[in-house]
Amino acid sequence: MENVYGEHYGRLIALQEELQSKIALMDQELERENDSRLIDHVMVRLKSEESVLEKCAKRGLTPTPDVIVTNIHDIVGIRIVSTFLDDTLKVIDAVRRLPSITIVEEKDYISNAKPNGYRSYHMIVRNEEGYLAEIQIRTISMDTWAALEHDIKYKKDIKANKELITSELKRCADELASTDISMQTIRNMINGQI
Amino acid sequence: MKILIAEDTKDLNHAVGVLLTHEGYDVDQVYDGQEALDLILTTGYDAIILDIMMPRLDGISVLTTLRERNIMTPVMLLTAKADVDDRVAGLDAGADDYLPKPFAMKELLARIRAMIRRGGDYSSDKLIYAGLCLNGDDLSLSSGNTVRLSIKEYELMRELMLNPERPLTMAHILEKVWKSEQDIGDEAVWLYISYLKNKLRSVVSPVVILGEKEGPFTLTHE
Repeated sequence: MENVYGEHYGRLIALQEELQSKIALMDQELERENDSRLIDHVMVRLKSEESVLEKCAKRGLTPTPDVIVTNIHDIVGIRIVSTFLDDTLKVIDAVRRLPSITIVEEKDYISNAKPNGYRSYHMIVRNEEGYLAEIQIRTISMDTWAALEHDIKYKKDIKANKELITSELKRCADELASTDISMQTIRNMINGQI
Repeated sequence: MKILIAEDTKDLNHAVGVLLTHEGYDVDQVYDGQEALDLILTTGYDAIILDIMMPRLDGISVLTTLRERNIMTPVMLLTAKADVDDRVAGLDAGADDYLPKPFAMKELLARIRAMIRRGGDYSSDKLIYAGLCLNGDDLSLSSGNTVRLSIKEYELMRELMLNPERPLTMAHILEKVWKSEQDIGDEAVWLYISYLKNKLRSVVSPVVILGEKEGPFTLTHE
């Protein structure tokens, strides 16, 4: 079967590489400015064909390469994970200043967590060629939580009590958020900032 | 033990004041509802005796305002003998007890002792202030978002929410929240205050805690 991205495939890979190298530079610059590493790790992925087709079906779109590239904004996905809460804010700010990258949309699920407890900062960005990517910024604990939540969302036959798991996950999300803030506060005290 | 007497009949106010002082209570006396409210909002009492019929602000209105602000100090209402409606309204507004006039001083003293003994049991497990909800069942703090607090954070937040817009000193907080614990210093209190300040911000609440490192700390909203 032919690639669902058709002639756009090469350009999407190029966008992925462009962002990867710009973020690597940004990482170095942030480290210089702050005397410590703000980014723990960066993950990059191209949305799988299966997942693209599923999304098109759900939204009633005919999955031609042009339709896909115009309508699906997270084909190129990048996740930037920080250790501390305040570092995520600095990273968000630095992403806004990336050269030749335009911010199309920002969604703050950190200040405004989803009802299930999901926390992360989402930015849709566009390069000069007009291709879109989604950049997610979060702390390690938000990332750990999302990994587990992903499992329950996509695993088809979970034998355990789904309602219990959902409410326990929500509790964990709210405890982790609380701990992230406590850790940041202790760090501020160590650094003489409070 | 600090008691407030709000009663506009001068002789009765005086008599109750003398009696309670004699029993060893620390007594404040006022003669109208507005004065009573002003004092309650700035002073911590262990019990309050409120007459219903008072100039400027009646006793029920004073009581309603207190309970709305999460102030759960035990309140004894003094009611006219015949007025059942007053008693019902008073109890519904959050009074802990009532005493119809005229009453025997002995009975007043016994009822006050009983009320103070029960004291703290009257606060609810869910406190609300300026859209901020502190839930004792699961230690959650919510406004736009929700976070879960640790036990000490919860107890400190609860003390602040029970005394909104009233400055709480370092000594007060150490006594109420860290009761029996040794080796707890001002630095720990400040760290816990800082946790709560940041957590209030993270649940996107307009509620803030004011105060420098050494206290006093005041819960208020923007």
